[in-house]
Amino acid sequence: MSFIPGQPVTAVVQRIEICKLRQGDNLILGFSIGGGMDQDPGQNPFSEDKTDKGIYVTRVTKGGPAEDAGLMMGDKIMQVNGWDMTMVTHDQARKRLTKKNEDVVRLLVTRKSLEDAVRHSMIQNQAQHQI
Amino acid sequence: MNNFKDNQDSDIQKKIDHEIRMREGTCKLLAACSQKDQALEAAKSLLTCNTRILAYMSELQRMKEAQIMQRVARRPSDAGPLDDRLPCKGKVAISDLRIPLMWKDTEYFKNKGELHRCAVFCVLQLGGQIYDTDMVMVDRTLTDICFDNAIVFNDAGPGFELRVELYSCCSEEEFSAGNAPRKLASKLSSSLGRSSGKKVRASLEPGACSPVYNGGGAPLLLPSPSVPGPKYHLLAYTSLTVAHIRDSFRTHDLSICGNEECSYWLPLYGSVCCRLAAQPDCMTQKMMSGSLKVKQLVEDPQSWTNIYGVLRGTHLICYHRQEDEEARAEPAFTISINKETRIRATEKDPLSKAQSISISNHYGGEEVTHTLATDSRGDTQRWMEAFWQQFYDMSQWKQCCDDLMKIEIPSPRKPTPVTAKQGSLYHEMVTPHPAPSSEGLLLQDNAVSAEIRALLTSYYNDRGKKSHFTVIDTADDLEAVTDILKRHMQEFELRGQLGANPHWMSLFEEAPGRRVGGHSPRPHCRAPRSPRPRPRPGPQSSESDSPCSRRAWPETPPHCRPRTLSLDAKLSSLQGRGYGGLHCQCQAPAASSSAQPPEPGLSCPSFASASTCSNSSSEGSTTPELDSAPFPRSAPGRGSLRNLRAKLDPRAWLQTQV
Repeated sequence: MSFIPGQPVTAVVQRIEICKLRQGDNLILGFSIGGGMDQDPGQNPFSEDKTDKGIYVTRVTKGGPAEDAGLMMGDKIMQVNGWDMTMVTHDQARKRLTKKNEDVVRLLVTRKSLEDAVRHSMIQNQAQHQI
Repeated sequence: MNNFKDNQDSDIQKKIDHEIRMREGTCKLLAACSQKDQALEAAKSLLTCNTRILAYMSELQRMKEAQIMQRVARRPSDAGPLDDRLPCKGKVAISDLRIPLMWKDTEYFKNKGELHRCAVFCVLQLGGQIYDTDMVMVDRTLTDICFDNAIVFNDAGPGFELRVELYSCCSEEEFSAGNAPRKLASKLSSSLGRSSGKKVRASLEPGACSPVYNGGGAPLLLPSPSVPGPKYHLLAYTSLTVAHIRDSFRTHDLSICGNEECSYWLPLYGSVCCRLAAQPDCMTQKMMSGSLKVKQLVEDPQSWTNIYGVLRGTHLICYHRQEDEEARAEPAFTISINKETRIRATEKDPLSKAQSISISNHYGGEEVTHTLATDSRGDTQRWMEAFWQQFYDMSQWKQCCDDLMKIEIPSPRKPTPVTAKQGSLYHEMVTPHPAPSSEGLLLQDNAVSAEIRALLTSYYNDRGKKSHFTVIDTADDLEAVTDILKRHMQEFELRGQLGANPHWMSLFEEAPGRRVGGHSPRPHCRAPRSPRPRPRPGPQSSESDSPCSRRAWPETPPHCRPRTLSLDAKLSSLQGRGYGGLHCQCQAPAASSSAQPPEPGLSCPSFASASTCSNSSSEGSTTPELDSAPFPRSAPGRGSLRNLRAKLDPRAWLQTQV
């Protein structure tokens, strides 16, 4: 995840679609988030850049909808249903995820392993070509 | 002489051909566009192309006419005086264009109703050089139209005329309620107000407003193809000359075309502010240099010092030796050459035979005279000539020669950040099946042929304005993604210096120093970790195994788990041990906060792997404790007070269950 202030953000992202689960009166997704513009980024154990104030997945409930959809702990959420999550407060993020009239949330998440995998594969590709 | 003219001719021809090709491409693009923004941009390029073509054609005509005149005039007297002095050229830069608007206060504070939007841009023309600024969308929420572009014209003479033209095009959708909130939609669709009704009528009758700008007063030398799509109209213009140049922001008057009835009308205040600066060559370049002897009258009147003099701008800089100038050492001294300076060639110095030049300046109240001598008459003549030329240039460029004005060379396009309004991201979709379309950009409208798509790709990639997300649907598509990214990188390499490399390319460069690179110690990573003891069951052990999945990473290459921690996190985790926190770790296998500190033998950059996972919350996060049930919501009562306290504690790193 490269983050240069003032420049557009670039990331390799994965699309994750989570169908909310109804539990009585609540619709839940089955994961927890941490981070936000109003939070202390230094305490985020998942972020590579300790000034990153993005929203991260801090845990994924086992057997829950998020886990089924492929969300992993440590993922950084970039978008929720098209809404940006890189510059939001913690509460705004929570609200965007827990809208009552939405059954499905489509997330764009990024994680280091994804980036590494693509980079690794590109480098391998390069190496092959050079040979 | 003829050769030179022919070269010039062919240059212009090439330029004309280039612009004609651009125009054809733009017309095709315009015809294929579906989105309003793209159409507006394309129409803007079209207008610029047309303007350029016309300018080149008129220049070509002028050159041909001059050629003919030259051939006709055989007698030397007709050819004009040969010793006419020509002033030096210079760079003219215009930047920070700002055009204030003057909305009626009722309009400005109105919150309802459709937003009358116009797309505007400026065309700047100096001699044969034509540039356009970026397009800006203007509506009544703006008080000024600002153009961030800085444009530098090279090779401008002091008699230049810089023409600034403002074009605008109404960008409202058909007056349906496409963008208005639903509540107003019904109101709007049922009735149109008086002003909007006028506008609708005006837009429907193309002849009602001032005619479409087709290139200005010059007779049309080429038929301009009539293309569908948005048309820009000239809204205002002005001309700037040397007299308008200052090193700071100044306001100039605008002449406005059109009136309120036109669809493209904007209430302009009537002036344009900008910074117009110039750097004449005489101020920036070395106009003359050579060895000189200087007699300083202050001391021994008969002493001559050998120096190497360089005439640049308003100074004659004297170095001890020529090498000093190249080495940029401190000069011996500097003589001012400005409008107040008087330079005379004295006939003969009684003691030497050569001519000498005397330079007089007023420093403070005193008059100081330096006397220069050269080695030969020819040199003296050349120096005098250089001084005369310098004075002439200064008289032509006037205030530009008082001081060197700063001109910033605009760097290759800096991508502007995406605003929330635009929100059009390009997604590269990697579809599971290897269809040829999976390689192209997927725009919202699928009915675009591959050729146009390629045009759009190159057009928009150069601008680089948007955030770039490459989306992977499943881990299997890594290869396809890699291919796409590789192709992009190659394209950028081929195109060379056309623009700064997009930032995402840095993601994929090999950076051996990267902290989280998992290249080398890959095999080692896994081994030491396995023999770690499992977390000892503690008071909150109910969740030690279950909640967090212990699943392995997907089958992508065996990298180290990302070591994403800083020392802070590790410290806070060690602190957090007392609170228990979460035991389950997806990332660090088996080692929990309660286990021993990480082994020093780990070859990966060993910031604690153990301390991952939410121990950051020094308060002991509230949510995990509550999941005795599979999907717990916040348990009211006992938990809520703790929740509240946790939320209010500024040190805590909040986590919320969703």
